[in-house]
Amino acid sequence: MSSVARPSYRVVVVGAGIVGLYTSLHLARAGAGPILVIDRGFLSSGASGRNGGGIRQQWETPATVRLARESVAAYRRFGREFGYNPWFRQGGYLFLAENEAELAHLRRVHALVTSEGLPSQVLSPEEVARHIPGLAPGAVVGGTYLGSDGTLYPFPAVWGVYEAVRSLGVEVAFGVEAQGVEAREGRVRAILTSAGRLETSAIVNAAGGWSAEFSRRAGLSVPNTPTRHEILATEPMKPFLDPMVARVSDGLYFSQTMRGELVGGLTLRDGAGVAQGMPSSARFLTEMSRALVRLVPRLGSLGVLRAWSGFYDDTPDGFPLIGEDPRQRGFYHANGFGGHGFMLAPATTLRVARAVLGEPTDLDPNLFAPARFLDPRRPAPVERLQLG
Amino acid sequence: MADAPERRFLFDGAARSARSGETLLAALTRGDLPRLQRSIRYHRPRAPVCAEGYCTGCLVRVNGRPNVRACRYVPSDSDVVTTENSWPSPRFDMYGAFDYLFPRGLDTLHGFRRPAWATRAYHRVIRRLAGFGRPPDATAPIAAKLPAVRTSVDVAIVGAGRSGRAAAARLVEAGVRPLVVDRDLDPAPVPGADLLGRTTATFLPPPGPDGFTLLGFQEPDRGVEVLARRVVLATGAYDASLLFGGNDHPGVLTADGALGMRDASGRPPFRRAVLVGGDARADAVLGDLAEWVEAVVAPGPIQPGLVRRASDEEIPLYPRTLLLRAHGRSRVRSVDLRARGGGTKFSLDCDAVVLAHRRLPTPQLFFQVGARMQWHGGTGAYYPVLTDSLATTVAGVFAVGSAAGFLGPASVESGARAADAVTDRPASDGGALARVPAEGPSELEGYYRELWREPRSGKWVACPCEDVLLTEIEEASARGYRGMEVIKRYSGVGTGLCQGRYCLPDALLVLSMLEERPPSDVGYITQRPPVVPTPLAAFAALASTDRPPEAR
Repeated sequence: MSSVARPSYRVVVVGAGIVGLYTSLHLARAGAGPILVIDRGFLSSGASGRNGGGIRQQWETPATVRLARESVAAYRRFGREFGYNPWFRQGGYLFLAENEAELAHLRRVHALVTSEGLPSQVLSPEEVARHIPGLAPGAVVGGTYLGSDGTLYPFPAVWGVYEAVRSLGVEVAFGVEAQGVEAREGRVRAILTSAGRLETSAIVNAAGGWSAEFSRRAGLSVPNTPTRHEILATEPMKPFLDPMVARVSDGLYFSQTMRGELVGGLTLRDGAGVAQGMPSSARFLTEMSRALVRLVPRLGSLGVLRAWSGFYDDTPDGFPLIGEDPRQRGFYHANGFGGHGFMLAPATTLRVARAVLGEPTDLDPNLFAPARFLDPRRPAPVERLQLG
Repeated sequence: MADAPERRFLFDGAARSARSGETLLAALTRGDLPRLQRSIRYHRPRAPVCAEGYCTGCLVRVNGRPNVRACRYVPSDSDVVTTENSWPSPRFDMYGAFDYLFPRGLDTLHGFRRPAWATRAYHRVIRRLAGFGRPPDATAPIAAKLPAVRTSVDVAIVGAGRSGRAAAARLVEAGVRPLVVDRDLDPAPVPGADLLGRTTATFLPPPGPDGFTLLGFQEPDRGVEVLARRVVLATGAYDASLLFGGNDHPGVLTADGALGMRDASGRPPFRRAVLVGGDARADAVLGDLAEWVEAVVAPGPIQPGLVRRASDEEIPLYPRTLLLRAHGRSRVRSVDLRARGGGTKFSLDCDAVVLAHRRLPTPQLFFQVGARMQWHGGTGAYYPVLTDSLATTVAGVFAVGSAAGFLGPASVESGARAADAVTDRPASDGGALARVPAEGPSELEGYYRELWREPRSGKWVACPCEDVLLTEIEEASARGYRGMEVIKRYSGVGTGLCQGRYCLPDALLVLSMLEERPPSDVGYITQRPPVVPTPLAAFAALASTDRPPEAR
């Protein structure tokens, strides 16, 4: 049923989530030639339509902090640039520590973030309580806070970039699955899709939770693992919570949206992969509710409105895969965002596009290059602030 | 009832009383439709619509707890009840100015982007408009300190209506003691069975190795977890809504709502209603409410039984008639009508519109558990695919009654037949039971097509919970967005408190028309748990571990 317009493209992007769409935007703006974006589902069916909308700049490595800061700037001007209002509200991001070890960890993050020129703060339990009305006494030993972090509505951001790329002539085809890659002499020649074989010299794998599967179909082993994460929303209330709150110990996070709903999740490790689909679970509903009620007891009578789930595309070191795969020229990775694709998309996709266009990028290959996992002797920094 | 002890409570500062066992809504109704809420965006006046805990028309604050559905709450002595989301009162609300200021709606998708320096102010204003109530008071009692209900049974039956009871009775005959879960606040006992009343089955995930885990919510605060080897779903049906101008005005009620409010307080909250519908449901409703019905208006033909009944009561009938608009912002006072096929427009005075034109199955648990569903065009709804013994495609889940498409005598029979299958008894009589027709299209598809050619006036609210206007759905479609899932994300339709119960069935037909493809191709929204909003504390009481899983 689904088909595409041409037999060949300059670039085929796999995945019409925020990462794939933004990548095609940068490419189209650079005049890269005929560009096709394919997606196995519908617009916003993957993680770009399922995330909690958190946008933060507090990270453990300077490179990520800088990318995040660039993304924050992009989302601040998003409404004026794209005609859609993502309601990016800079209500801050508040990390919670439950013990001294966690607080020490947050202090190190704070030191780095401030050294990058962002005014993050270390908060006492009393100061934390001022941000979270009704916080249970003794629930935290402290936290860190950065006021320019915030939350947005993912959907308008997706519509905005989608309509922008379409107006630039990018073709976006839904219900089309990437099935494999035809390569000769280590170079991409064509992509095999459910809509047929399409000649191209550049493929961008921006398939999120499905990226590892597609890389493998292309004959490339990657360390990415899709992990299912669940999320819930409560009945809408009048505003009472400004920041996004994230707890170090168990990845509990929640914020209050513009509509007044409390939206949040919790890290449960159940090993479910993409094959299991995206169901909600009784375990999540009950564990998440308990975690929230323990932290903020007054919320107990608030109704849970709905729950859903989506996939993180995790990597062993917590950094995404950005750039060309040295094993197959013309195959570019824009994946492994570990649940942070939305917050890093505007900045990272600019680098992806540059790589596709053969331009140099400023990314540290030790952190972002897909080849890093091929070298067992490389220095191995790890980004552990994977929550929220 | 007259000598039953009274409960005294405060309502917005005034002393009120309720008869023992009476709901808060009944106590506040006393023959007139109470005005308790304002809509979420435009602060339009709203009143109860469904009287069964789904719409947003009766949300009040009770003892510091927001979003209590007055129709589901039985007051205690010295309760403090306040209205919310309006200033100074739901009858006169200053924020209602937004409704007049934005006659064509508030475009939060594209608007409020400029100037950049106003961003924070926009955020503040829009946030303040949102939400129905303030967050719970720090002192609000959480009765979920009550232990959760946990039980393990062989057979769980969801729904104690006719078919659920028939299934239970037959199981009891066969020596099985089922557990019946029912939403009714005070359901009649089911002989030989265990009964959990006031309980909504909110989540039925696909089975694990040990069978099914059914999560429920016993109002007002209790978590319920039922482990069951087999589940019989008898979740019933409900009266759907209809699209027309002013379709959200106070006085527009579903037939469930009209009957529910009549049952709760002795008489319905109107004197001369326009009853909408032309089939058996409308006939039954007229049988109950004839005294208060002014006219019967049907989107399609009117069946003979209803014609006879209306003639006996000297009630005028308007078959094949378009309902164009309800007038009366704070209470319906008239409706505009036009005979289909190009008749002249006319008006009828009335103080309510009672919708009994379309009865839809309650399908959420079927979708949640992963049963294969089939589109039945005649009703315009999805029903589970069933074997002759009423097994769904999920082993151990059976479907009976109107939720499964069995109406009238077939409904009762379906309950007994499923019970036989559950206990592995041979079916008493072979052959398929009469089921609602799978063939379409429904009468309503042609109706809406014709209605679309009419000039519109007033706001047409496609999703009353979220105040999504019909024009927003049309705009999304005009921009090229297709399919129910995408339109939901684009417009917000179906994301409100009723989880799409009232807006989605109509939105599906509208999109089918706009996208020029059958409703079943437009899709349906994933049915997300819980079926009704469930307090965090009720879920929390069901958590299996004492601590969340250990840190990464």
